[in-house]
Amino acid sequence: MPQLGNLALAIALILAVYSIVANIYGARRNSPDFVVSARHALWAMCAMVTIAMLVLWSALLRSDFSLEYVASYSSTTLPTVYKITSLWGGQQGSLMFWTWLLSIFTSIAAFQNRRRNPEIAPYALAVLAGVAIFFLMMLNFVTRPFDLLATVPAEGSDLNPLLQNYWMAIHPPSLYTGYVSATVPFAFGAAALITGKLDDGWIRSTRRWAIFSWFFLTLGNMFGARWAYEVLGWGGYWAWDPVENAAFMPWLVMTAYLHSVMIQERKDMLKVWNLSLIGLAFGLTLFGTFITRSGVISSVHSFTQSGLGPYFLSFLITVTLGYSALLIFRSKQLRSPAEFESYLSREAAFLFNNLMLVGIAFAVFWGTIFPVLSEAVRGVKITVGPPFFNRVNGPLALGLVFLMGVGPLIAWRRTTTSNLVRSFAAPVVIGVTTGIVARAEGLRIWYVLTAFSLAAFVMGTVLVEFRRGVNARRHMVSEPRAKALVNLVAKNNRRYGGYIIHVGVIVAFVGIVGSSFFRTEVKKSVHAGESFSIGSYTLRFQGLEQSDTPHLESATALVEVLRPDGREITVMTPAKLFFKRPQQPATKVAIRSTPLSDLYVVLAGIGDDGQTATFEVFLTPLVFWLWAGGLMMVLGTVVVMWPNVRERAAIATALSRQSTGARELADLGAPGGD
Amino acid sequence: MRARLVLVSSLVFLMAAIFVFLFPELKNVSRETFAAETTTNAEVSEGLTCQCGCGLTVANCNMPTCGFSVPMRRDIDRMIGEGKTRAQIISFYRAQYGEKVLSAPTTEGFNILAWTMPFIALAVGGGLMVVAVGRWHSSAPPAPADSKAGAQPSFDPELRRKLEKEIEERR
Repeated sequence: MPQLGNLALAIALILAVYSIVANIYGARRNSPDFVVSARHALWAMCAMVTIAMLVLWSALLRSDFSLEYVASYSSTTLPTVYKITSLWGGQQGSLMFWTWLLSIFTSIAAFQNRRRNPEIAPYALAVLAGVAIFFLMMLNFVTRPFDLLATVPAEGSDLNPLLQNYWMAIHPPSLYTGYVSATVPFAFGAAALITGKLDDGWIRSTRRWAIFSWFFLTLGNMFGARWAYEVLGWGGYWAWDPVENAAFMPWLVMTAYLHSVMIQERKDMLKVWNLSLIGLAFGLTLFGTFITRSGVISSVHSFTQSGLGPYFLSFLITVTLGYSALLIFRSKQLRSPAEFESYLSREAAFLFNNLMLVGIAFAVFWGTIFPVLSEAVRGVKITVGPPFFNRVNGPLALGLVFLMGVGPLIAWRRTTTSNLVRSFAAPVVIGVTTGIVARAEGLRIWYVLTAFSLAAFVMGTVLVEFRRGVNARRHMVSEPRAKALVNLVAKNNRRYGGYIIHVGVIVAFVGIVGSSFFRTEVKKSVHAGESFSIGSYTLRFQGLEQSDTPHLESATALVEVLRPDGREITVMTPAKLFFKRPQQPATKVAIRSTPLSDLYVVLAGIGDDGQTATFEVFLTPLVFWLWAGGLMMVLGTVVVMWPNVRERAAIATALSRQSTGARELADLGAPGGD
Repeated sequence: MRARLVLVSSLVFLMAAIFVFLFPELKNVSRETFAAETTTNAEVSEGLTCQCGCGLTVANCNMPTCGFSVPMRRDIDRMIGEGKTRAQIISFYRAQYGEKVLSAPTTEGFNILAWTMPFIALAVGGGLMVVAVGRWHSSAPPAPADSKAGAQPSFDPELRRKLEKEIEERR
């Protein structure tokens, strides 16, 4: 079986190489047969990588320890679900998983473009195949997933206990999907530069891919934060770890890109900027992988650390130089007759929004690499941790939130001062009132006051925008209010889905601010039967329950949670675990979540008598809203991506006429040209 | 106008209600957060990075058997009990382990770049943007100061046109 895996990967590499040659030759010689053949080669490549994946999954499920990978990342006692997820728990498997996703997305892009974009699609598919070649070369020659051990061990080393968690089952696939799908718009951008077809066709063709990538980057970051919250046991969800930063940066840049392409679609401006942003987003996905696998920057996430750093760095440099050269080569053609009428316009708000998003991404990048710079320049190792990132990004986040409120209510081109006052009167009143009420209620921290006021202001702008839309529909077609609201969103799903995402971001922002500034912590050692308090809760330690399975030992504390009046709310069960194969302890936290606050209980230690336990308890306000905001972002993205048949038909008709009407329709919320 | 007033009043009332409902909770934990002993320990250990390889601050490292953060938090408690200030305790550990034990760069020498560069980059980026916009602005044809778009700034005239088209289709 391992030979089948090796063979499949070798054939996949050959097919990828053939696909590049055939795509470029076919496009240059105008020979459709070669282009079709290249497309079939990409589908066959996908089939080969799928076979390799199935072989490795099969070996993991059968606990075939003759494979070095299986012996290193699995064991006979590992639960089946984690045997499946251990495929991305280690270096080789995660690289193969990445390659598999890339081959699937490449195949889908090849299918979507079999009759579309005949000029740029072959080059875009060649770029995608080029990226696949890099990963396939790693798998074939550098870090081989099917290497055999000379002596087969009776038992495997097991998966890292920190990865034996359901969030870890879904966090890496989500993040990888986000990372890898960003390759598709990048490839089409590169193809536009190669061919000189620099209108917004490549943007329209890959709009859904960009949103898809953003969606999964959002999910990946959220799942990762939730994993950290539940598994690492320190009561927080984001530690500005280099790998967390590496996942956050592409999200920021993709967010900037999704806003700035609207300016190109509407005004044919910012071509260089949009191409740069998508190149940057792709480069940052490679940078993230480089960080995770190189060990250059120490990280809590370096589960897959290896000597792959130089290869990834070389690839990253090659891609960056090549793409930059293309941008310079096409710089004259990328100039467009730009028009900009006023700073009081939506395009100006989008420009500032891009500045803030890329500024935050740069601040995160700078903080992430500064330890390396410091060591290179001064020879002194330093740490750049949460205090730096919070202090630098805090004010920038406020600016960004403010712009989120401003953008939607300003018209394209320009707006008059009187209109500005009329539009913003209600949101400003809501924001200021929120600040006043907050201060009257005893809040004194200026950042929190500003953040809550701005959050309320943005919510106000979104409400005003929905109200206007509903009123307009009611005026035009005499619909009842509820029906008008539903139709407004359904018929303009891109625009109003975007507003739902904005609401999600603001709700998450409130959760982040609340949980960051008002967390309480109590650490207490108690005997069975004793109680202690945190906030309005009383916690009574009832005792310990031990259990022993072939996979792990655990000691679970029973903690009764009581209201001030003595009534029981629930029994929480934090535990200490000991994984037998890797001989590693771990913590299982217990969380009681409510919209107001999370009660987070960690069993920090057990006394020698078995009757005493030390608890670390956190009371974190509003953290519930971080996850709720994430859900709203997901909902909003689904609305944005929801197929809108009438709009698509209109776009198709308009595109077929090659008229400017297509642009106008798209601006009204059509879901893109694909 | 009256409808607008009702809407704004309702929203303000709603926001006020949310905060009145929410704030006892926040005030409560806020007071406890700044209660002397735990906060001082948290403040000190938040400024130090755990050296066990977890990448977290000493305050946040929760490895049950961590050989660095567990004894350090205990020692910090002891030093607080001896009356040492946050700065003194952090200086003590900096002398012992070097700069890498601090959770953020100092604000001296080369490290100043760490703090200033993001804002310099933002200022440069903003400056370039203003210059570019200025050029675009000067090349733009003059537009009427007011327009139908201006009367309803956020409800695009195109959207209105499309709605009208839909009505036509329904007829």
